[in-house]
Amino acid sequence: MELSRRRFLGGVAAGSVLAASSGLPRLAAADEVLKVGIIHQGAISDTGWEYYQAAARLALEAAYPGRVETTVIENILQNQDAERLFRQLASQGHKLLFGTTFSHYASLKKLAPTVKSAHFECCAGITASDNLGIFEARHYEGTYVTGIAAGRMTKSNILGWVGAFPVPQVTYSVNAFMLGARSVNPDAVVKIVWTNAWVDSAKEKDAVAALVAQGADVISGSPNTPVQGLAAEEKGVWAIGSTGDFSNYVKKAQLTSFVLDWSPAYLEAAKAVMEGTWEPKTRWRGLGESGFVKMATHSPELPESVLKEMQAAEQAIAAGKLHPFSGPINDQNGTQRVAAGSTIPDDDLRGMNWLVEGVQGQLGG
Amino acid sequence: MTDAIVSMLVVTLVAGTPLLYAALGELVTERSGVLNLGVEGTMLTGGIAGFIVTFITGNVWLGVGAAMLAGAAMSLLFAIITISLKANQVAAGLALTIFGTGLSSFAGKEYVGRSVVLEPSSLTTALGQVPVVGVLLGKLHPLVWLSWILLAAVCYFVYRTRSGLILRSIGESPSSAYAIGFPVISIRYLATLFGGAMAGIGGAYVSVIYAALWTEGLTAGRGWIAVALVVFATWRPERVLLGAYLFGGVTSMQLFAQGAGFPVPPELMSATPYLATILVLVLISRDAALIRLNVPVSLGKPFHADA
Amino acid sequence: MVLPFRFEPRPKPSPVMVYLSPLMALAATGVLALVLFAAMGLDPVSALVVFVTAPFADLYSIGEIFIKAAPLILIAVGLAVGFRAGVWNIGAEGQLTVGVIAGGALALTYGSTGSGLLLPAMVVAGAIGGFLWAAIPAFLRTRFNANEILVSLMLNYVAALWLSYLIFGPWRDPAGFNFPQSEPLAPAALFPIIVEGTRLNASVFIALAAVILGWLVMARSFVGFQLDVTGMAGSAARFAGFSTRRMVWIGMLAGGVAAGIAGVGEIAGPLGQIFPTASPGYGYTAIIVAFLGRLNPIGILFAGLLMSLLYMSGDAAQMLLGMPSSTTALFQGTLFFLLLACDVLINYRIRYVPGVRVRQEAAT
Repeated sequence: MELSRRRFLGGVAAGSVLAASSGLPRLAAADEVLKVGIIHQGAISDTGWEYYQAAARLALEAAYPGRVETTVIENILQNQDAERLFRQLASQGHKLLFGTTFSHYASLKKLAPTVKSAHFECCAGITASDNLGIFEARHYEGTYVTGIAAGRMTKSNILGWVGAFPVPQVTYSVNAFMLGARSVNPDAVVKIVWTNAWVDSAKEKDAVAALVAQGADVISGSPNTPVQGLAAEEKGVWAIGSTGDFSNYVKKAQLTSFVLDWSPAYLEAAKAVMEGTWEPKTRWRGLGESGFVKMATHSPELPESVLKEMQAAEQAIAAGKLHPFSGPINDQNGTQRVAAGSTIPDDDLRGMNWLVEGVQGQLGG
Repeated sequence: MTDAIVSMLVVTLVAGTPLLYAALGELVTERSGVLNLGVEGTMLTGGIAGFIVTFITGNVWLGVGAAMLAGAAMSLLFAIITISLKANQVAAGLALTIFGTGLSSFAGKEYVGRSVVLEPSSLTTALGQVPVVGVLLGKLHPLVWLSWILLAAVCYFVYRTRSGLILRSIGESPSSAYAIGFPVISIRYLATLFGGAMAGIGGAYVSVIYAALWTEGLTAGRGWIAVALVVFATWRPERVLLGAYLFGGVTSMQLFAQGAGFPVPPELMSATPYLATILVLVLISRDAALIRLNVPVSLGKPFHADA
Repeated sequence: MVLPFRFEPRPKPSPVMVYLSPLMALAATGVLALVLFAAMGLDPVSALVVFVTAPFADLYSIGEIFIKAAPLILIAVGLAVGFRAGVWNIGAEGQLTVGVIAGGALALTYGSTGSGLLLPAMVVAGAIGGFLWAAIPAFLRTRFNANEILVSLMLNYVAALWLSYLIFGPWRDPAGFNFPQSEPLAPAALFPIIVEGTRLNASVFIALAAVILGWLVMARSFVGFQLDVTGMAGSAARFAGFSTRRMVWIGMLAGGVAAGIAGVGEIAGPLGQIFPTASPGYGYTAIIVAFLGRLNPIGILFAGLLMSLLYMSGDAAQMLLGMPSSTTALFQGTLFFLLLACDVLINYRIRYVPGVRVRQEAAT
């Protein structure tokens, strides 16, 4: 799309005067570069949470070559430091800032209303607020589909879940995993072992060993590294690439996987800032077009029939016809939590703190 | 059922092995009178060195060799500062830990989250064929039972050789040893380097075999537990074995306990190795006589040849 | 290796070197920084200039220097009291965490009352929390001879797990959709900001007070004298009737109280909320600050500011120079090491002795 530069500049210049007077950050010229700042809590590697954030950033750079300049900061663990750095990035002319983890949400919520020169987006935040948009993935849609594969392929009917922290994102993920498995195999159960860490390879390995010792033959969790998959492979059981595809490392034992694709959020936010139309949005998406959850791989050993079941579920979820948490659903104590014929409201999912029937283990704490 | 027991044994042995290497090394160092608190930093440096070399070459033993060199290099720095420059050993040990942690993070930047995938060693597969014990040995990397051989060697060296006697005498009374003509400085250097090399192996075991992956701060305090183990063992190598597996076991068992359905909060379970260390330290240390009998008298004090 | 240099003990420690040594170590670290920048492909001099000047970019950034230095200085003063006496409190991190727990408990329970007494009460609670957590290694050392380094260190991990348990459990923000954080602290529980446009709050005054108090105790009080003697010559101290036990208690508790208050400073300051990790490792960095400041409160004041600058510069290095995040930790560790190396010149001087062959074993 070729626009005459002079005309475009003329039009934009007028608009930018308006924009400047209304205090909105806006690109004044077609060739002005949008500076985007991204802060990572951990280090970017070739798998895991930070990798997928970085992948989205790369997609952004590829979509707007020469028009977007990114500054990336890694390993900012503490909120005090994150708050300072977001502010400093804003004062250095970055107009769009991304927080990449739930831990940034508190700082950004405080900071965003006071910094008018930039717009903020936070991944895994709770709800959008003044000058702060959030985007989060409906992980449970992905885990539900992988649950179908697990339910069909398990021989012992015992599935294992390596739990990182008992937060809602993990809780609804393991619940959906159970529900997906039970949708094809009503006898399946899920055992949970908590490692209390997002990454602790030694513990994750031992956790897999503990689950296998209890009879689990399909292992899932929220792996950020191939360790769980490799440990499962070593023990001769299946591993699920839940929120990540590790088939580069786990060559034989990865049954199926889904990945997180944040690029729609990055791209939409950047486009909106460039056009001056940015407003705080809450983007909570799963499978489907412009979604953040994408089914990725499946093992050649997965039977065609199971694959078809998974794909059918995937399409139904993407089309809004199937909700993984459709009633009747009981919790571990047998109390009904979701009535027959209804689905669970989003807010209940966001704050989920109970485990469904069939999951063995506690929420800890 | 036997599968579960074998599994638990394997996990305990695996968890205890890095502790065993690091503690044995520190024991020898402390026997010469040098207190090296930098074990954590040394383990991390050895860990990243071993990881990088194994990642690039695909050969575990090259990685272990690199880890030993890295560990020895770190402890050489420490030795220069404390033995030759006579700096305070506690402060220098802390500095080594902080420096080693930073250095390993820096060097490991490109490798965070990467994994090494190793073929099971041919030795291990061969041993797996042995009746009865093969079930266990077939699941363990050679470094595990090499640590047992190391333990035996250290015991033999410390108690049954003349060099071991010299080492101990230097730890007890360096000035007397010096007067007799023993090379106090050289032996302290060697003992410290040995300790560093062993800590390096321990770190590499964690990064290359146990976790098979690199993340920052991978050793999670194991270096400190190793130092505590030396006290726990009252500076006797044979007791280090017991301590290492006890602690290794406590660390891993809490996950098995969870799996079996024990309703204890996971944080409390995770705290058990640290609480156990404190408990053990108290029990061992309260008998002041026991400590006085066993601790190398000159531990932590710089040696002045002309004092 | 035979070099024509010899270390000669000085008749008495050189006071000049005591203060020159940290500067030498700093200069040496600067040289290493230049080497590192060059190795990473940057123009070393301009990179160093950016590294050094970036923290002063604007008022907000300058405020940040002070707000980061305050807890470091506070804790280091407390630790120095113990270090002088040979009491090694490595547990400041855990004591800070327990300070967070104690102050946080008050804030969460009474925040809504809006009482003006809440904040002072939180500070006191934090002090008591740190005090009690430091009392454990002190007790185990005086009663059972257990090494305080190891006990206090292990307690760091235990304290972190305790806080984690609280945040994931009873203290979870009821409006936070079960995310692991406490509810935001009520305004009555926060330190007031003293410079508009920054995050600089009143807790810096506590750090200043600690420096003054620390100086008074160490330079001017009998207790300070006792601590020094105990550290320098334990048997002489005992001979003089100074109780080693008392020194251990004072040494540990000073650090504990300081760390506990610093913990409250974090949650009632830049954090404004309680998270499973409240401290970015201040308990460990404060050890470096204590040594860098020569265990002297005035020196610690400067050392704390320097260390804070290093943090800021490290962040700037990531932001503006593309350096990896571990730059800060690497520089801090290197500085500490070089400091210890340069410190040898306090007690020894280097003599050039050409033509003299010295045997390795007989060299001092």
